Amino acid sequence: MTMGTITFENVSKTFSGQSEVRALEGIDLAIGEGEFVALLGPSGCGKSTLLNLLAGFERATEGSLLFDGKTVTRPGPDRGVVFQEAALFPWLNVWQNVIFGPQVQGVARVDYESKARNLLKIVGLESFSDALPVQLSGGMRQRVGIARVLAMSPKALLMDEPFGALDAQTRLSMQQLLLDVWQSLGTTVLFVTHDIDEAILLSDRICVMSARPGRIIRTIPITLPRPRSIASLTSTEFVAYKARIMSDMKVGAAHA
Amino acid sequence: MSISTGPIASRQQPSVFSSASSVLSSAARRNLRQVLLAIVLPVTVIALWQWAGNGGSLFGGVLPTPDRVWHAWKVWAFGSAGLGLNPYSGTWLANLLFSAERVGKGFLVAILVAVPVGVAIGWNRIASGTLDPTVQLLRPIPITAWLPFSIAVFGIRDMGAVFLIALGAFYPIVVNTAQGARDIERNLVRAAMMMGAGRWTILRRVVLPASLPAIFTGLRIGLGIAWTAVIVAEMIAVKSGLGYVLWDAYYVGRMDVVIADMATIGLLGLISDRVILLIERWVLAWRRLQSFHS
Repeated sequence: MTMGTITFENVSKTFSGQSEVRALEGIDLAIGEGEFVALLGPSGCGKSTLLNLLAGFERATEGSLLFDGKTVTRPGPDRGVVFQEAALFPWLNVWQNVIFGPQVQGVARVDYESKARNLLKIVGLESFSDALPVQLSGGMRQRVGIARVLAMSPKALLMDEPFGALDAQTRLSMQQLLLDVWQSLGTTVLFVTHDIDEAILLSDRICVMSARPGRIIRTIPITLPRPRSIASLTSTEFVAYKARIMSDMKVGAAHA
Repeated sequence: MSISTGPIASRQQPSVFSSASSVLSSAARRNLRQVLLAIVLPVTVIALWQWAGNGGSLFGGVLPTPDRVWHAWKVWAFGSAGLGLNPYSGTWLANLLFSAERVGKGFLVAILVAVPVGVAIGWNRIASGTLDPTVQLLRPIPITAWLPFSIAVFGIRDMGAVFLIALGAFYPIVVNTAQGARDIERNLVRAAMMMGAGRWTILRRVVLPASLPAIFTGLRIGLGIAWTAVIVAEMIAVKSGLGYVLWDAYYVGRMDVVIADMATIGLLGLISDRVILLIERWVLAWRRLQSFHS
């Protein structure tokens, strides 16, 4: 029932314009139900483009892209996107932002209200219902961004460097929050990041990307035991993964 | 258009007078300082004007002194016990209301047309391609150039004035609205699409609110033009209102009434701009917070 399977088959993306830019080249990627996959790579390697294709914000130039076996043609609430800068509606307060999805989909108030309240509690913002986004810190805004997506019960979460703009300490608490939420929901997650630690800590599998054109050059399964917490960051296995990925990424850079 | 920077400017200014009396609260002191600063220039000019024309007028009797203007204004507003046929006795409010009503009607028509058209131009490529060139072609034609057209089509009636006001106010509103809709942050639209909002919902719940700051800029400029338009229209195309009185009083040599009329127009323009500003502060509360934070 829940599903959330993702299949990229030989997907390429070229941006046309004054000069053509080959953003993605021959992407093959299959993500199973409930899997947490991190896309890791330097900025400009096309990892956000890959996520935008899956979100339906952009169209692939070649290849096929399936979500739950169906070709992706447009954005939809089955794929909840968490943006880097949260992209909350600045004129709506926290509560209105969180219920925006169910509301525009025509869900009856009774059917989303208690769920939305519960989500605000989970992300620790129950007392900030009436606050406007501008009155919140970056971390709090991103909590709202996560809550509003979860309010739609998506089959997959697409997260585009969601914690990239946060300070180190806030980032850790957000990573912990995401681990906890994912542990209880088991939703498929595609997580774009340039932070090696973050990728190892969160994911079941890391796809390392190279730049221009963006390709997946390495896939590394992460078998750290679950449930994980930010305490895992200091384990010896974690450090071993990190050493290996760092050398992998250097190889990628030399070829670029 | 003068842009009010009142409360914001006073926040940013270094507190030059901070050593002054501490009896008043700092906010009250700031307000008082603001008012004092604001009236220095007009009070000085009026005083000089009064002093220069100590015989009751300047420029060989053409320009009456402020005390005479003030007297004429009082008679115009409240009437006098003299002859009942004086057109400048007790007719101030009626004429003011004629003008204000025309501005209100024309401005409302302008908003109702310009906001949807502006959003369409800013948001939709086809609408932009269809509407924008025509708007840009008509925009350089000043409202004064539309006067003969307006009189020919609507005659010497209210509709002509309302048409000119609506036309004049339309352009700044439509141009600013289109800019606001065009400049919308891409990820806000993407977020709405991702949450399942259809085109219409995105227009109403994302594009329109995101454009509101720009729309209000257009409204304030448009209202200024609306006051210009009503005076021009009443001078030529209608037989009542402040613009009509202005020209009429000039013809019979009543410069005291002319100046009182000008002052009335200025005050009405100022007050109506403040009203828009108040509405803007209320509607765009989220934005005010934003600008103070950054």
